[in-house]
Amino acid sequence: MSDWALERLQPEYVKRFEPYVPNKPDPELMKLYGSSRLYRLNNNENPLGPPLAAQEVLRRFAPSRAAVYPSGDSFYMREKLAGRFDKHPEQFLVGNGANEVISFVMKAFCEPGDNIITADKTFAVYEWVADFSGIEARLVPLKDYTFDDQGLLDRVDERTKVVFVCNPNNPTGTYWSTDRLRRFLDAISERCVVVLDEAYFEFVEADDYPDGMRMFDEYPNLVVFRTFSKMYGLAGLRIGYLAGGRQLVDAIRRTCIVYSVNSLAQEAAFAAVEDREHVQRTREMVRKGKDYLLPELNRLGLSCVAHEGNFVMIQLPISDTLAYRKLMREGIMVRTMTGFRFPNFIRVTISRIEVMQAFVGALARVLHSQRGGATDR
Amino acid sequence: MSVPSRGLRLTVNADDRFLQVATSFVEKASLALGLDERAALDLTLASEEIFTYVCHKASPGALISLASRGGGYYVEVDFGFEAREFNMQAFNLTSRVARRADESLEETGLVIASRMVDRFHFSQDGRRLRITLVKERSYPAVEALPLPESKPLSMFAIREPDPEEVKLCVRLVLRDYPPQAIPFSFRSPGKIADMVSCGELRAAIAVDRGGSVGGGIVWRWRGSKLVQSFGPYLFAQTIESGVGKALVDACLTSIARTPAIGIISHSLASDLAAGFFEPLGTVTIRLKDGRVHENALYYRHLEEDLGLAVWSDPAIEPFLRREYERLAFAREIRTVRDDGEAAAYAVLSAGLDREAARATLHPIWWGRDSRETLAAHVNMLQKEGLPNIYFEMDIGRAWHCHFAPALMECGFEPRLLLPYAGEGDLVVFQHRGG
Repeated sequence: MSDWALERLQPEYVKRFEPYVPNKPDPELMKLYGSSRLYRLNNNENPLGPPLAAQEVLRRFAPSRAAVYPSGDSFYMREKLAGRFDKHPEQFLVGNGANEVISFVMKAFCEPGDNIITADKTFAVYEWVADFSGIEARLVPLKDYTFDDQGLLDRVDERTKVVFVCNPNNPTGTYWSTDRLRRFLDAISERCVVVLDEAYFEFVEADDYPDGMRMFDEYPNLVVFRTFSKMYGLAGLRIGYLAGGRQLVDAIRRTCIVYSVNSLAQEAAFAAVEDREHVQRTREMVRKGKDYLLPELNRLGLSCVAHEGNFVMIQLPISDTLAYRKLMREGIMVRTMTGFRFPNFIRVTISRIEVMQAFVGALARVLHSQRGGATDR
Repeated sequence: MSVPSRGLRLTVNADDRFLQVATSFVEKASLALGLDERAALDLTLASEEIFTYVCHKASPGALISLASRGGGYYVEVDFGFEAREFNMQAFNLTSRVARRADESLEETGLVIASRMVDRFHFSQDGRRLRITLVKERSYPAVEALPLPESKPLSMFAIREPDPEEVKLCVRLVLRDYPPQAIPFSFRSPGKIADMVSCGELRAAIAVDRGGSVGGGIVWRWRGSKLVQSFGPYLFAQTIESGVGKALVDACLTSIARTPAIGIISHSLASDLAAGFFEPLGTVTIRLKDGRVHENALYYRHLEEDLGLAVWSDPAIEPFLRREYERLAFAREIRTVRDDGEAAAYAVLSAGLDREAARATLHPIWWGRDSRETLAAHVNMLQKEGLPNIYFEMDIGRAWHCHFAPALMECGFEPRLLLPYAGEGDLVVFQHRGG
């Protein structure tokens, strides 16, 4: 195809995009950076892996079943979720990770000229999907590292279709309390759809943290996102879901891609969803990890933003992207935060103590090499 | 990411009979896009030289596309044509200059044209060749106006400036900073205001509630992947005040979710740089008045480095290894070999910036005469009064590395390594001069 044809065929807003380039596979990165180990502290994966019941499903999955299409709408999975949360199966849509259900919602309600509203420093995919779809993304600055409810309300107009609230927020870990969320939903009324992204729901233990799943009757414009990629350790299988009132979910179903969730993911998630012991074990690991990490960071003279979730954001005295490269040489992969509009911050997944110790040691060496002075480690 | 606001296009056969059509197009378009008559005439005469030259080098039936665009403070004319219709060697600036002892020293139309415009650039994208002429609007020289006394700000906010604030900031920079820390274009405050208005430059300033300006920073795109920033310039603010950090933050935040993968910073205080940037190295700036100074550049990558394979020649491998180690970029270095492949002649493209007395050479084609071609270019550019001569080698393209030995022999040295600035990383060579 000639350049001329491409020029004519491609929409202007798509021409502005740079293709997303994911990380190389771990062995390739290790070879390039010359490291003999790689601790993945970049994606907030669960180092304990999936719940035991889900692991058993993975072990027993017969290879011959790979030849058979999965349930197109995750039939049993939705029934399971309905039972778990006391809802109707039609109140759930399962997608190939939470990223896919973001697209379902955006496609269901937005057309060019419309806008969505979210925070400037939050999970990037709301903004990306909007940009990619030719929809304006209105970004409201965080206030004290938290979604600014009044700021979001101030930006709503007649073309606002969806407001995305990440609760707790990735990467700051801050959250709206039940009261604050209710006040916001009351103020929005039914002017637009409100998405409550609860990707890290299972990590939060605070009493005043809201459970969006219990609010559909009062707020028919509310949609909740959850995922099996974080707490449930199934990131490699890509499965997440949205839930809401039946009428709202029926409207979103029109843009839902069927058959996008594979059989293995559906069955592993089915087995995982009831495992509360796994949730407790993971929470305990995160608690211990933070108890170790935060004083160590303090000792290194670093400030951090640590609230809910299995991650901590650390402010560095050097470029985060330089720190990434130097930590990679030490076999530690973290998430740089420049792309989240937090220059010089890194986000670190909380893992087992020995991994956290390795991270602290590597970080101390990196900072030492930059300062060119002695370190106390 | 330049933002030309308006454009016109004309396509004609590469034939002298269309010369007046082409020059009339350029002249009328230039006036309509905002150039004054003098500047429009210069651009028209330069275009006449290019059109005539291209016609003489073209095969029968070749087409030339002229595109004229206005970018607020300049008008740009592009001549686009297909490479297969031409002998590429003709596009060396030096193609008619002393290549053979018995040949007259007739200058190419390319060189003559370059003297009438502010910027000249010849480039190749696949089979498409492009000659670009840029003529800027005339701006009055900066006047000595009374300026407000700068004072430390107790509280400040960062925001985009309006045009008058842009001009005030430029005047404060000219008042407070030594000449070597100031970009050439800052000599015309109105030009900077126009560059900001048309979107070519982005700017942020720090102001208090009373409107006092404590500092500013500007940045612009350099191609599709790199951003170039100038400043932050601080007026009576210490590093500890946080004004400089807030301005850098504003710049980084604004490009954080764009296709930019790196930012090169100029005019940056070294104590501020340490927290945000890595020293990239220095280049030598030779001013028209003979003064010489070293200009430090800083770099910050904006993404997680995924690692890359790059090409090298033994002549530059020690430089590459040292820089990759220092900057901690993961690279697999592959060495190119000269196995005697036939390649008739080298072709270079040149970008000339007469205001900055700077020329930047890019390889178009490698050939066995690359040393002679480079030497001829250096000779000609020095005679043209352009003592700052650079060569940009994209080490994502193996054949570019074949130029390395010739560069070293001709007095160039590798000065900077710009990660991901080309297909792969870019090595910037500078001629030692003299």
